[in-house]
Amino acid sequence: MRWSSFKYLVRQGWHSMVANRLMTLASVGVLSACLFITGVALLLSLNVNSFVSGLSEQNEVEFFLTDETTADAAAQLQTQIAAMDNVAECLYISKSQAVEEMKVYLGDDAGVLKDYEGEGNPANPLPASFRVTVKDLAYLSDTVSQIQTLLGASVSGVQSPTELGTTLVNLQRVVGAVGWGLVIVLGVISIVVINNTIRLTVFARRKEINIMKFVGATNGFIRLPFFVEGMTVGAIAGLVASVLVGGGYLGLLKALAQPEASWLSEFTRCMLPFKTVMLPMAGLFVLFGMAIGSTGCATSIRKHLKV
Amino acid sequence: MIRFENVKKVYEATGKNPEIVALHNVNLHIRKGEFVFVLGHSGAGKSTFLKLILREEAATEGRVIVNGRDLSAIKPREIPYLRRGLGVVFQDFRLIPTMTAYENVAFAMRVTNISERQIKRRVPYVLNLVGLADKAHALPQELSGGEQQRIALARALVHSPPIIIADEPTGNIDPELSVEIMELLQAINSVGTTVVVVTHERDLALRFNKRIITIDHGEVIDDSLRQARRMRV
Repeated sequence: MRWSSFKYLVRQGWHSMVANRLMTLASVGVLSACLFITGVALLLSLNVNSFVSGLSEQNEVEFFLTDETTADAAAQLQTQIAAMDNVAECLYISKSQAVEEMKVYLGDDAGVLKDYEGEGNPANPLPASFRVTVKDLAYLSDTVSQIQTLLGASVSGVQSPTELGTTLVNLQRVVGAVGWGLVIVLGVISIVVINNTIRLTVFARRKEINIMKFVGATNGFIRLPFFVEGMTVGAIAGLVASVLVGGGYLGLLKALAQPEASWLSEFTRCMLPFKTVMLPMAGLFVLFGMAIGSTGCATSIRKHLKV
Repeated sequence: MIRFENVKKVYEATGKNPEIVALHNVNLHIRKGEFVFVLGHSGAGKSTFLKLILREEAATEGRVIVNGRDLSAIKPREIPYLRRGLGVVFQDFRLIPTMTAYENVAFAMRVTNISERQIKRRVPYVLNLVGLADKAHALPQELSGGEQQRIALARALVHSPPIIIADEPTGNIDPELSVEIMELLQAINSVGTTVVVVTHERDLALRFNKRIITIDHGEVIDDSLRQARRMRV
């Protein structure tokens, strides 16, 4: 094909978009709406996932030790705990460190702990402890049991958010499944809806295709403008959806950054940054739109080429 | 140019519609430079005759040969190239409504991958030939029926095909304009182009002293070239 013919066909694709502007608008509108809803579901899923992951990273279990546990024994146990598969970190908090932490917690009233300060102070009632951060909340109970077994008689008590861990893991699973399910369902709906819209566009122009066939146009020659049209419609819809989703997300991030929304800071802190999430999503939308638009055109036109 | 050898075309039964024998044992030969009317009433088989020439349909039996190509053996990808050797004029003009007269004519050249320079030279010439040079930038809906048919004729002529086929070319235009169109077709024929006019208008066909092939119930019942020769004798 000559370069001039190729340029002509590309121009024809764009020209027919303008000439059939109502159908073009319908296609762009339908595809944008589907991509927008898909984007919202995707953002929701990604952010809840990030939130749950953020919470699990902070998750700590504290194992309190009996006063009989010596510093040497504690150091040995700490090494063994830190070597466990599901343990991210194991900190040893000595009795005197526990007093210092308590003083920070009490603030102005820290003076009441004056008599308990100092390493080896026999009056100090606070126990030493291991503060363990687990890698995966799903195995929290198992890890706690393993550590308890290891510590044996040295452990005097355990402070573990086992129930919270289980709840978070379940929430993450549900949100993940629902979110991705929505993305897949909406993606399929987008393909079906845009295919039907393109089919209508092609059907409205079946006479034109028929004329092209009778003047000796090859199938490729007829397809190319439709292909260009489908790709352009898809790209525009991808951009529109990206702007809508991106604008909404940016607005939400700004609103959550206001002092009035500080009570949501735990959630806001874990929200994915705009650039990290929106740039790949916009690229994905445009590519997805172009792929749907062009394949939709290619398949819809096939029937009318059999003349 | 166009040869039918024992051609039979049967449309298979579909749903409640029974099988239809559209053409039966058709033998004819249209030679280079001839002007032929194919005459027949509605449902006689004229449309099927055209569809077989354009390879819109394939013959059930027999052979159809157009411009030296045996259409029973032609591959689907070769069909566009067959059609480029045929200029077709339809009763309903079949112009692309979103394209100007110029673009409609140029389109037939573009599909054959001809350079833009040649298109710019040839299209105004052909539009001038059909007397519509001044309507080059008009859209089809801005033209009268006769003008649209002349644009369709210009499109059929633009790449100088050896055969022009006109399907009821005067069916949608006034009687005075019909004569104009027929005169244009005669002028095209006078320079050696084979012209086949398919029509149901017996009077129109008889007005010109040309060969008339009459089809009825799918069979060629008369070929007036023989009659004309006999009359001359």
